[in-house]
Amino acid sequence: MRYLTLALAKGRLAELSIGLLEGAGLDCSELRENSRKLIFADKKNRVKFFLAKPADVPVYVEYGAADIGIVGKDTLLEEGRDLYEVLDLGFGKCRMCVAGPKELEGRMDSITITRVATKYPEIARTYFRHKRRESVEIIKLSGSVELAPLVGLSEVIVDLVETGRTLQENGLVVLDTIADISARMVVNRVSMKMENERIRELIGTIRRQIQ
Amino acid sequence: MKRWNMYTPEGVQDILFDQCRMKRKLEAELRNLFTSHGYMELETPTIEFYDAFGGEIGLIRQESMYKFCDAKGRLLVLRPDMTIPIARVVATKVRNEHFPLKCCYIGNTFHFDELGGGKQNEFTQAGIEILGIHSPESDAEVITMAVKAVKACGLEEFQIDIGQVDFFKGIMERTGLSPDETEEVRELIDRKDFVAVEQVIGRHNVSDELKALILDLPGLFGSKDILAGISREHIGEKASAALDYLQRVLDILEDRDVGRYVSIDLGMVQSLNYYTGIVFRGYTRGVGFPILSGGRYDGLVSKFGKDCPATGFSMGVNMVMMALERQNRSNNERPGGILVTYEEGGRKFAYAYCEKAIGRGLVAEMDIGMGGIEECLNYARAKGLDRVMLFCADGTVREFERGRDI
Repeated sequence: MRYLTLALAKGRLAELSIGLLEGAGLDCSELRENSRKLIFADKKNRVKFFLAKPADVPVYVEYGAADIGIVGKDTLLEEGRDLYEVLDLGFGKCRMCVAGPKELEGRMDSITITRVATKYPEIARTYFRHKRRESVEIIKLSGSVELAPLVGLSEVIVDLVETGRTLQENGLVVLDTIADISARMVVNRVSMKMENERIRELIGTIRRQIQ
Repeated sequence: MKRWNMYTPEGVQDILFDQCRMKRKLEAELRNLFTSHGYMELETPTIEFYDAFGGEIGLIRQESMYKFCDAKGRLLVLRPDMTIPIARVVATKVRNEHFPLKCCYIGNTFHFDELGGGKQNEFTQAGIEILGIHSPESDAEVITMAVKAVKACGLEEFQIDIGQVDFFKGIMERTGLSPDETEEVRELIDRKDFVAVEQVIGRHNVSDELKALILDLPGLFGSKDILAGISREHIGEKASAALDYLQRVLDILEDRDVGRYVSIDLGMVQSLNYYTGIVFRGYTRGVGFPILSGGRYDGLVSKFGKDCPATGFSMGVNMVMMALERQNRSNNERPGGILVTYEEGGRKFAYAYCEKAIGRGLVAEMDIGMGGIEECLNYARAKGLDRVMLFCADGTVREFERGRDI
C-alpha cells in the first residue's frame, strides 16, 4: 500500500491535530517525541507526517507533495490555493477582523481608508476590493500589527482576533469581521480521487470525533 | 542595471536533449493515435486577438494572459488555450467540410499559473475536438480517446473522473438562486468545501429536499453506483435528463472496454460559462494536478457566430512527462549511434560508409576534426555512442565498440 502523506501546520494546530489523528487510530508517537527528524511515519497504517510552516502547508498539498493538510482557514484564505477543503476541525477558532481606533467605531462607511497594515495582504486586498469596493494601500507587516494605527502607519489593520484583549489594551476595537477562522482539513485534488477510500475513511472517523 | 540575458522569464523552461527526445516521442505517439482514429490535425496561430478570449467573450481571465499590441495598437495575446481558436476557425473558416468534424492539435499554450501546466506558464497541449454533433456516442468517443491517449503515453495507473454540469445547473435552476449566487455555490462545491456550502445554502430559502441534495453534491463522487443512489423525485426534468445522458455515456464506455478507468464526480462543476454537459478530468499518481481535462461545450462556437455543438479534451504533455518520470516509466535510453573518423586518405571511404549507415536507418555522424582517435573515443563515451569506425590510411578499417574499447 502506498504511503499517505499528511502536512501539519507547525505549532498549536499540530498539537491539537495529533489528538484527533490518534483518535482516528493513527500512531503519532514519533511525532510526539521531540526529535529533530523532519518526517515521521506510522508504518503499520502506511501514513507519513511532516510539520511545515503554516503558509507552506497549502503549497505542499496543492502540488501533491502531501495528500492531506491540516491548517488554519486564515492561511487558506491568504494563500488562495486550489484544494479540496473537506472538514472544519473546530479548533483554533478566531476571527479575521478589520480593527482600528475607537473613534472609527460605527463610522466605517463614512470615512475613507487609505492605508491598511496587515500580515495578510491578500485577505485585506480582497476584502477592500470586493466587499467595500475601495482601493487602499496595503502595507505588509510581519508582527505586532496593532502598532501600526498607534504610530500613524495606517488608519486600520486586518488581523486575527481571538479574545480581543490585545486590541483592547492598545485602545483598538473591531470594526468589521471578514471571516470566521478555524482549523481545516484540506486534500489534494488528485489524491482525493486516487486514494478515495482511505481518505474518505479518515475524514469520516475524524468527523465522528468532532461531532 | 541588472542584465537578464542569462535567464529565461518565469514559468518557461528550456527542454534539453533527453527530455526533448522523450517529449517528441510522446507527441508522435499522440499524433499517430489521433490521426489513425480519423482526426484531422490543424494548426492555429500562436498569437491571437485578445477579444477571442477575454473582454466581452469573457472566457479567460484578463490577468492570466500574456498581452501585447500589434502595429495598429490592437491588443494581442499568446494563445492561452487551443479549443477557443478551433471554435473560431470552425465558426468562420470551415465551409466545405462535412459535419461532424473531427480535429486534433498539438501546440504550445501560454497561461499564468494554469493548473494544467503544473504552474508552468508555457506548456504543450495535445487534444481532439468533435464539432457539429450532440450525442452520448460522441462524448463517449472523446473519453475513449482520452483513455487511449494516456495509455499511448505509457501510463498504466490512471483514472478518468466524469461529471455532468447540467445536473448541477438543473438543480440550481429549481432553487431560484440568482446567477451570482449559483456561481458562489458552484465555486464552493468545486472546492468540496462542505462547510461553506452549508453556510451559503442555509442563508437562502431552499426546500429541504433540494438543500440535502446540494449539500451531498461535494461528496457525490466515486464508483458508478452513485448514480443509482440518487433519488429522482425532487430534482426536476433537466437534472434527471442529465443523469440519463450520463448513464448512456457510461454504458457505451463499458462496451468499449474502458469502463474500468472511469469514475464519477457529480461535484465536478468547473467554469459553467464554458462547459454545458459531460465534463471530465484525468488523474494519475505522482503529479498533484490533472493530466487532462475535457467535456462538452455546446455554447462556445456560437460565441463566434455559428451554432455548433462540440466536445473534446486536451492533455498536458508536460504533466504526462512529469508523471512518467515520477513513476519511473520514462524511457530514457539514448539512441546510440556510430562515429566515423579517418586518417589521411581514408576520408572518401569514411564518408561513403557514414552515408550508407544513415541510409540503412542507423544514427551515424562524421568526425568534424576532433583531433585524433583518443578525442573521438572520448566524444563517443560521453555521448553514449555504440561504435567508432576508423578508416586508416592503408585502407583498413578499425572498429571500436562500446563496452570493449570505448
